[in-house]
Amino acid sequence: MIRRGRGGDAPEQPVGEALAQIARVCESAAAGDFEQRVPRIGEEADAERARDAVNSLLDVTDAFIRESGAALAAAAEGRFHRRFLTRGMRGAYRNAAEQISQSSGRMSEDAERVEQAAQARLQLADELESAVLTVSEQVATAATEMGSSANGLADFARNAVGSAEQGLTTVTQLRSSSDQIRRAVDLINAVAAQTRLLALNATIEAARAGEAGRGFSVVASEVKTLATETSASSEEILAQVNTVQHAAGDAVRVLEEVTASIREMSRLVDGIANAVDGGPGALEGQAGLAQLAEVLRGEVNRFVSTARQ
Amino acid sequence: MPSGVERTFDEDEIIVTKTDTKGVLTYANRVFLRVSALTEAEAIGKPHSLIRHPEMPRAVFKLLWDSLKAREELFAYVVNLASDGAHYWVLAHVTPSLNEHGQVVGYHSSRRKPERAAVAAAQEVYGRLRAEERRHDNAKSALDASWAMLQSLLDQNGQTYDQFVWELTNASAV
Repeated sequence: MIRRGRGGDAPEQPVGEALAQIARVCESAAAGDFEQRVPRIGEEADAERARDAVNSLLDVTDAFIRESGAALAAAAEGRFHRRFLTRGMRGAYRNAAEQISQSSGRMSEDAERVEQAAQARLQLADELESAVLTVSEQVATAATEMGSSANGLADFARNAVGSAEQGLTTVTQLRSSSDQIRRAVDLINAVAAQTRLLALNATIEAARAGEAGRGFSVVASEVKTLATETSASSEEILAQVNTVQHAAGDAVRVLEEVTASIREMSRLVDGIANAVDGGPGALEGQAGLAQLAEVLRGEVNRFVSTARQ
Repeated sequence: MPSGVERTFDEDEIIVTKTDTKGVLTYANRVFLRVSALTEAEAIGKPHSLIRHPEMPRAVFKLLWDSLKAREELFAYVVNLASDGAHYWVLAHVTPSLNEHGQVVGYHSSRRKPERAAVAAAQEVYGRLRAEERRHDNAKSALDASWAMLQSLLDQNGQTYDQFVWELTNASAV
């Protein structure tokens, strides 16, 4: 028996006891307990070699188990910098270690892609929010301006209709005044005809009176001339009155058309105002432009906060 | 005491030790014994601080024990002192060992050979922490000062110690 000098005062052990110790350690390891190692079982070179061989096997298996569990746990927690150390691992241990290391490398890349996608989503949400905010503010401003313009136009149309109606009244009055003038002229005409007849009689009577009635005959002739002129003037006045009445008729027709157009315009303007404000004249469930912009902003906010989760 | 001689180990090797909950060594593998120049009899039953190098800042050990108490793993670049005065750098992975009831029954450390670039970066930071510690004559205030400095160095980079270690490790692709 070759005794080796280094270390220890391990007693000689029967071969059976040495094998039993190796068996106990291997059984523990097989049961998942890697804390046991083979103690000195003899001083022979073979005994030492057998002991070192079993312990080395346990050491590398122990290291592999500790590494693999911790490396995967780290990857699951997102600590991707913690890899599986392949150094010191050989053969199948090394191949498996490299596989685990590569897997956590791929998990790291996946996590990075997911993170990038999340960042892109957040950026998109920011951009969407800012764009919608701007648009809805602009729509709200435009709605306010359109509402106030529509209200101004409606007021303007009401005023125009009022003015046109006033004009219609004035022209109607002008027409009835013309009728009165016509009656007055008719009366004048009748008086002039009567006067001409009287002048004729006066001329006949003056002729019968001879020399004494000559002066009176001149007067009667003058009166006749006057009545004729009066009659001619009346005809002229009647022609003028007819022209005025005709013009007044045209004016009434035009004013009625203008009033109808303005009333139609007023109705259209009310439609615009309702679309903008969602006013009382709006259809059931129809919101105004400003409300729609507010609803849009609310929906986008909801969407954006979901995207940010 | 430190001889300034650096010792390394193979890339395929792992240094493994186990301790009880008090930090007393209960197991050391063959690689540990070789690089630490210790026999099994010299190592087992001794506190793990047996291989503590004077250039290791106290703040890093505080971080180690804080993590283990929180039942968390810790990766750290550590320089250890062999019994013959040589030193060796490791990338240590320290984890609590749990029994079937989830109770901590001890601690386990697996250590790999680190890359030169990572060692140089760790050495730079540890040098500053040690210089700060040397300015204090009692252990408590030395630890407080070096802890504060470590936190502020990490804060400047917006990192945790874990992230610092893994940045060095992933950059040198261990």
